Amino acid sequence: MLKNKFIQHCALLLTLLTGVSNIAHAQGLPPLTHNLTAVNPALPAPELRFKDLDDDVVDIKDLKGKVVVVNFWATWCPPCRREMGSLERLYQATKEQKVEVLAVNIGEDIDTVFSFLGTIEPSPNFKILFDTDGDSMQKWGVKGLPTTYIVKPDGTIAYRAVGGREFDHPDIQKTIINLLK
Amino acid sequence: MKYIIASLAFWFIPFIGYAVAKQSTNTNPITGAQTWETHIDGVHFSLTQILPDQLRAFYVNRGFTLEQIEPYVSSCVYMTVLRNDSAPGDIHYISNNWSIFVNNKRHKLKSVDEWVNYYKKTAAKKSAIIAFRWAQFPPEHEYKVGGDWNQGMLSIGLAYGTTFNAIAKWDIAGKEFKATLTGVQCAKK
Repeated sequence: MLKNKFIQHCALLLTLLTGVSNIAHAQGLPPLTHNLTAVNPALPAPELRFKDLDDDVVDIKDLKGKVVVVNFWATWCPPCRREMGSLERLYQATKEQKVEVLAVNIGEDIDTVFSFLGTIEPSPNFKILFDTDGDSMQKWGVKGLPTTYIVKPDGTIAYRAVGGREFDHPDIQKTIINLLK
Repeated sequence: MKYIIASLAFWFIPFIGYAVAKQSTNTNPITGAQTWETHIDGVHFSLTQILPDQLRAFYVNRGFTLEQIEPYVSSCVYMTVLRNDSAPGDIHYISNNWSIFVNNKRHKLKSVDEWVNYYKKTAAKKSAIIAFRWAQFPPEHEYKVGGDWNQGMLSIGLAYGTTFNAIAKWDIAGKEFKATLTGVQCAKK
């Protein structure tokens, strides 16, 4: 009996270490694409005001004049993990051109997110915001993670992407840069 | 009589073959989890078993206790993917309209709201319930052509090892489409 319990606990511990990545690497996962869907007519971006990793408040209202990529995500969401590196590469390629990336984490604490970020290559330098109650999901019409919106410099939503994407793809970079013209 | 049967078989076997060819099954060599998938009318639909210990690990990491999450773990859960690659238009679905058949008898899915309401009545942490809610396959969504998709957990509500057929339905401007997966098996205990 004790032996069985021991085996069960060992199995659980092993799965705790590997389970999430196994789910993430389940067979048959679709490749990430690079299409964005135009939002017509362009709607005003809803309110978005949360603390970041440095405990500073970030308000999307203060980012008017920039293109803002708003990404809703969580560490346990496999496609969110898959696209995170490409978001960083997009950020690095466009940050000098009035493009901001805000990754809104849903429902997790700073310690969880911080330890996760260290596993991403390249490690994100863009702003990570914390929506601990998940309230922004309804305001923004998010029904599943990840979902990403591209907000124009005038504060209206130009594009939406439901599900993971390759954000560093040249087509997406070009689309985003064109919003600044 | 046998000639009539042979004649019918001649005409229908190619079509049966065509229908079967649209579904494929594979097994993860590391975990043993099975995937059933199909691609029809420009839409990809797949169900991948999430093994009981994988589910326990995932939700214990999110803050549930083993006891709290056990009813969900034992409900036959799949990693579900629906993606609009090249459908003739934007697709809209409501997962509660999908059909599950066990021995030709229809089985009703337990909705995400039902699960969330169940967990709100337990001592589960709020953060755990938020993670639970958003880890589920969205109950309703619209996917634009060109790659909108979601991947999430879907509880079928059947016992370990049960075999069933699943029909996912969506509509494009009111016209219904469907994808069928046959012989899908719940993970064993």
